[in-house]
Amino acid sequence: MLKAKQMTRAVIVGHKDFFEDTVDALHRTNLFQIEDFIEDEESDLKIGKPFESGKEASKKLVKIRSIASLLGVKDTAAKKQATEAVCSQLDGCLDTLDDDLAAFIEKKSALEAQLKEIGTEKREILPFINIDIDLDLYRGYDSLAVFAGHVKDDIGPAISQITSAYEIFHDQQHGTMVLFVAKERSEEVNEVLSRFSFKELKIPEASGVPSLLLADIEKNEADVIKKIESIDSDIENLKAKYAELILASNEMLSVEVQKSDAPLRVATTKSSFLIDGWLPSESYDKLVNVVNNATNGHVLISTQEIRKEDENDVPVEYDNSKIVSPLQAIMDLYGRPKYKEIDPSSLIFITFPLLYGMILGDLGYGLILLSIAVVIKKLVYSDAIKRLMDVLIYCQIATLFFGLIYGEFLGFPLAGHHGTPGLIPGFEEIPLFVSPFAGEVVAYPIHRVDLVMTFMALTILVGIIHINFGFLVGFINEKMNHGFTEAMLCKGSWFIIELGIVLVVLGYLGMLPIAVGAALFIIGVLMLFKGEGVKGPLELPSLLSNPLSYTRIIAVALSHMAIASTINVIAFTMIWEFGSPIGVMTIFAILLFVFGHAFNTILSIIAPGLHSLRLQYVEFFGKFYEGGGRIYDPFGYIRKYTEEK
Amino acid sequence: MVTETVMSNPDGMKALGAAIAVGLTGFSSAYAEREIATAAIGAMAENEGLFGKGLIFVVIPETIVIFGLVVALMML
Repeated sequence: MLKAKQMTRAVIVGHKDFFEDTVDALHRTNLFQIEDFIEDEESDLKIGKPFESGKEASKKLVKIRSIASLLGVKDTAAKKQATEAVCSQLDGCLDTLDDDLAAFIEKKSALEAQLKEIGTEKREILPFINIDIDLDLYRGYDSLAVFAGHVKDDIGPAISQITSAYEIFHDQQHGTMVLFVAKERSEEVNEVLSRFSFKELKIPEASGVPSLLLADIEKNEADVIKKIESIDSDIENLKAKYAELILASNEMLSVEVQKSDAPLRVATTKSSFLIDGWLPSESYDKLVNVVNNATNGHVLISTQEIRKEDENDVPVEYDNSKIVSPLQAIMDLYGRPKYKEIDPSSLIFITFPLLYGMILGDLGYGLILLSIAVVIKKLVYSDAIKRLMDVLIYCQIATLFFGLIYGEFLGFPLAGHHGTPGLIPGFEEIPLFVSPFAGEVVAYPIHRVDLVMTFMALTILVGIIHINFGFLVGFINEKMNHGFTEAMLCKGSWFIIELGIVLVVLGYLGMLPIAVGAALFIIGVLMLFKGEGVKGPLELPSLLSNPLSYTRIIAVALSHMAIASTINVIAFTMIWEFGSPIGVMTIFAILLFVFGHAFNTILSIIAPGLHSLRLQYVEFFGKFYEGGGRIYDPFGYIRKYTEEK
Repeated sequence: MVTETVMSNPDGMKALGAAIAVGLTGFSSAYAEREIATAAIGAMAENEGLFGKGLIFVVIPETIVIFGLVVALMML
């Protein structure tokens, strides 16, 4: 539970005739992590060549993946299909599917190009739409010059000073102007136009009256859009028809390609192969059996001793119960444990939700987040999200537990408090005892706002326990890997230092001579210096800062509670009060209540989650955890859409 | 008038002190986190696996404001 799975290094040697069968068997078991072979110039061992069978599969795979991306096929839950069925179905339809799709795509892109052209034509014609002249009349003159474009003002008076032989058409709406003038005057007219900041427009190539032309173009455009839509629906039909086959064949072909590429990771000679790798020790016999059955015992499998210097290369696979396993996601976020290190998944299984619950501790938010997590877990397909939802569910269980202790529901107190009634009528808080801090009265349900000092002391205590737990785990870790002396110097010294500090405090209170505590403290520091070097004593201030860091539990809790109760006060006291007549303000109050608490619900994942996570990562893991182990990634495939008979 | 009340009333001074404690430490945390988060996001763009480590580094200065809050709460 607290250790990674024990691994065995195994070497598989055999004749090349049995290479493919061996690889096939290894892939099927999905247990053996192949150690990549690195070729050495001087050695006779060479990297193997991919199996022939993979060539065809990889060609098909490229085709299938391009089809999948063109069709936009996404991972969904689907029934598993037998590989033989997929294979025969695929052979029958891959080429036609590819051709059909290519034809559709080609047609569609031609139509899209056409649509673009139509758009350009439309844009060109639009400025002329209100000038009712056939476009043919804009060109083909020997003695007339035509100017078409935008001008700012009316240019009629300015032109009439140059010549009287002109005709002007002006469209106020689009600011378009068309001017016909005698050719010999065109240069002078040009000058005038430039004074009026004239911007020339391209005269459309088409012939006909612009308004009629536009109607034609728009009809044409609608036609093309309709055609594109029909092709889209054809493509959608193809997708609906073939999606399952595509997913299944993608998986089947990926498996085949993966298998045929395996020799690239393996050492071979002319007639033999040598596969080196790792597998969980518990599965060794199973693997031997499977490989022997597949090759009739023609392949030799042997184990190798794991040397001390190879320990960092050993792949690490968690060995946790199903309940704890979702926390592995949190571990992987930080870094997988090393092979010879304690795996703290089961420790944070308790401490992470516990601290989260201590911070949030509200029945309302707990219930909302619990239902959200359960629904998302039911709906989504991704394993990673499912695991995160499991973690969220654990956290909410702790939240509900603390919610009962704190007696809160969406920021409302459940019990009556200082004369104000709670949510449950008749439920009044029960005073228990006076806390030794600031004379605060502890009552049930515990009202945190009244117990800030007590909670600060309590959270620091939680911190001290948590941190010392970390030192203890560190001690065990060191003892396992480097022996008792090293463990005593590196981690045990912290306990001595802490004991020294406690004794100094007792000495200060006059219970025993201060020298005893001081001596113990100095001995502890010297031990730490011997164990960890200068780095050790430099860490000493963390003895103060780390426990203080746990006061964030109450700090974040207070801010979260403040937001919740502010929402309640604004909604149900300031905007609309219970008992007053129901009206528009009631709706406002309810809206604010819903949106405000929705916002605070999101915050209640982020703030307590992040802070609880930080306390694990920084304060707790800092005491013992190294991480950075190699992730166990066996040669194989977890099939989702296909199954082998 | 308000200033006089604050200056003559020890509670007012306490409140001011608490406000300064939380305000300045909050600002310093934010400033430190800004620098670290920029670097951490840069590193994460290169390698997504650094999320956990990046998060830890980013939240380390968060403790400063918690200290400020502790001091403020003790003052009041």
